Amino acid sequence: MESSTIRRGVRRAIAACQNTPKRRTLHQSARCLATPAQGEGVKAAAPIRFRSDRNQFSKGRPRAQLIEEGDGGSFRRGRDGRDGENRILKNIRIVPASPSYFTATPKMTDDMLHLSQLLRRYQTLPVLPPGEAPRVAWKTRQQYKIEVLEPVRAKDYNMILTLLKRLNYIHPSLIPAEVTQTLEKYKRLVQPHLNKPKPIEIDQYGRAKAVGKRKTSTAAVFLVEGDGQCLINNKSLTNYFGRLHDRESALWGLKATERLDKYNVWALVRGGGLTGQADAIALGVGKALLAHEPDLKPALRKAGVLTRDPRRVERKKPGKLKARKMPAWVKR
Amino acid sequence: MASLACPRCLRRSLQDLETTATAIRPQRAAFSTSPSLSANPPKKKAVVAKPSTRQGSALRLTKNTRATNTRPPAVGERKELRKKVVLSNTNALEVLGLNDLSKENLSSDALHALEAKVMGFGDTSVDRLRALKAFKPTQGWNLFRRPASLVRKETTHLLGDIEWVEAGQGSRTVRKVLYGERGSGKSVLQLQALAMASLKGWFVIHIPEAMDLTIAHTSYQPVTTPGGPTRYAQAHFACKLLRNIRDANNHLLSNLRISGEHDIPGQLKPGASLLGLVDVGVKEPARAWPVWQILWEELTLPSAQSKGGPRPPIMFTMDGIDHIMRLSAYLNAEAQPIHAHDLLLPRHFIELLSGRETLPNGGMVLGAVSESNRAASHTLDHALARNEAIQNELTPPAWDPWVKYDKNVQDAMEGVGVQRLQGLSKEEARGIMEYYARSGLIRKAVTSGLISEAWTLAGGGIIGEIEKGTVKARV
Repeated sequence: MESSTIRRGVRRAIAACQNTPKRRTLHQSARCLATPAQGEGVKAAAPIRFRSDRNQFSKGRPRAQLIEEGDGGSFRRGRDGRDGENRILKNIRIVPASPSYFTATPKMTDDMLHLSQLLRRYQTLPVLPPGEAPRVAWKTRQQYKIEVLEPVRAKDYNMILTLLKRLNYIHPSLIPAEVTQTLEKYKRLVQPHLNKPKPIEIDQYGRAKAVGKRKTSTAAVFLVEGDGQCLINNKSLTNYFGRLHDRESALWGLKATERLDKYNVWALVRGGGLTGQADAIALGVGKALLAHEPDLKPALRKAGVLTRDPRRVERKKPGKLKARKMPAWVKR
Repeated sequence: MASLACPRCLRRSLQDLETTATAIRPQRAAFSTSPSLSANPPKKKAVVAKPSTRQGSALRLTKNTRATNTRPPAVGERKELRKKVVLSNTNALEVLGLNDLSKENLSSDALHALEAKVMGFGDTSVDRLRALKAFKPTQGWNLFRRPASLVRKETTHLLGDIEWVEAGQGSRTVRKVLYGERGSGKSVLQLQALAMASLKGWFVIHIPEAMDLTIAHTSYQPVTTPGGPTRYAQAHFACKLLRNIRDANNHLLSNLRISGEHDIPGQLKPGASLLGLVDVGVKEPARAWPVWQILWEELTLPSAQSKGGPRPPIMFTMDGIDHIMRLSAYLNAEAQPIHAHDLLLPRHFIELLSGRETLPNGGMVLGAVSESNRAASHTLDHALARNEAIQNELTPPAWDPWVKYDKNVQDAMEGVGVQRLQGLSKEEARGIMEYYARSGLIRKAVTSGLISEAWTLAGGGIIGEIEKGTVKARV
């Protein structure tokens, strides 16, 4: 008898293992959010008609019964107007407006259901190619939590974000107003991506001016078409940078794109040490060269002269000799 | 007592004698000359330290012990190694078709056609330049098969100057100071000038480092002039300089005869060659300075008056003149620093450069500022800027009334021509880089891209930096 039970169990386990794809699909469908059918919103239940019978909703004989003490009580006579109301209240079953009322996070659940409903409705609309959706700073989980006053788990909020991002991919020319309004609700008040830097323009003398920074150095670089001359703080390159490495890194953008003999560089650089200054100039040269030749962007990006290196000297901390260094361990 | 003399070498035995003598001799008063007869004072009880159980503070491993079987370098050995000039590299490729600077191509037109090309130095030229100590160890001569240099625009200009002096039949002198960025080729241009002048049959004199004259590393002695200020002669340096001159101008000196009447120390006949005269100075440092004066007197005799053959024009060059444009490190009797212009040898150069002393047979006085070991001389800096502005017919910068200038330097630099050396042109850069490639020092193809890259990174074609960036840099 035992052996047959074991055999059956093993057989089931094997079957389950063999049908993994099937199982997975089943599982996935189970994890889908239950949304109302298309076209119908989230609705309250139909109104209930009450009768005088107290046991209106019970089936069969009531298990307990309220026995009333006579009809003409002084208590009821005094408040005639509320009499009917109270009677109703005794019979009433209050149905919450939201079906997710009894979940721990009703507002969030409602939002999620609403978003998935929107997505289901507009799923067929054309979308932008991957990576080209407008950049949006969505509210953080903390902000959202404060707004809805519910304990929102990171996992749940990520599901909301996934829906938002998918909706954001709908082609801007066809996006319904409803979706736009909904998305607005989830956007941060300040959108940093809308702050576009002013494009560098080439002035009447053919100069492009750009500012580069590195560590504590700041360089203002003027790039003009020429034959490869370079002045830094009114000194020649060799006078200013003794090391060949610094010279090369200062003009790396031009060297990497083989433009050394096509532009003249005139730079003013302040602060920091020589290496920082050289890298600051490199960043400035890269940006200014981009103004002259925008097509060089991938090459310059690859050369690493378009991104500001944000690293700074780490501050010293109390109890430490430097930022991280601990004092020597001394046996008492 | 055993003899301290070493049977093999006297030197070591003397050293031993000195060291042991001081160690053995008992202490006594330095004023007394009589030998100490008293018995040696009783020895103090020496406090003997208890031998410690510890072996030493440092951990002794076999790795820590230094190999002591090598002898320490002798005095001056390391300096000699540092200053050694190597002019040839047998590993470098022989450049085919490398022509020498010679009398045939030594005219402005011929040299102009050779601009931006590299020209070698012939064997005699190399010997003379070497004798003058015109090659320097930092100039990268040791990278190539044989010495050669780039003919640049300034070289042609300099040859033009030489030709102009020659055309004047002895009445013309060029006085010039070369300056410019570090590594821009000032010293090599001077070397080219010396080579060209030597080929033209000029008398060449070169002081390779003016610094040696002023940093108080060579002897000096006061020379009082009647009624005048005290000057200082540097006998040993003059002696060395005379030797260099003798080796470089041997062919001229042996042909020229003493023509005037001089109070020559030694047994020289009145009609002896100048070579004999110089030899007197070379042999005895004490006579070097008088010999220098007589030699100069002889060389600057107008050719028409001299009985000992026509006197050649003189090329007198000095490198690092910023060092003689300030106070020297020598002290006078009052322990005050002596101005470099009060030292007789630098003073002589300054007199010639400023034009206070003339060269009756013509010639050229060429100074070069050194940038790699620059002596602070703000008066010289200002004078150079002024003279250049005057030369280019611009408004010269005024002397600042609030700055204390060196009067000597101001006077010396008055009216002296200046030439500022800048970077090479792209054509010249191509010429020198192709030479590098043909010597096997650049493996890459010399394309215009590579040339312009090297040109820009060398601060606009500073030749020393081009060499550093392309040939000397290890990737």
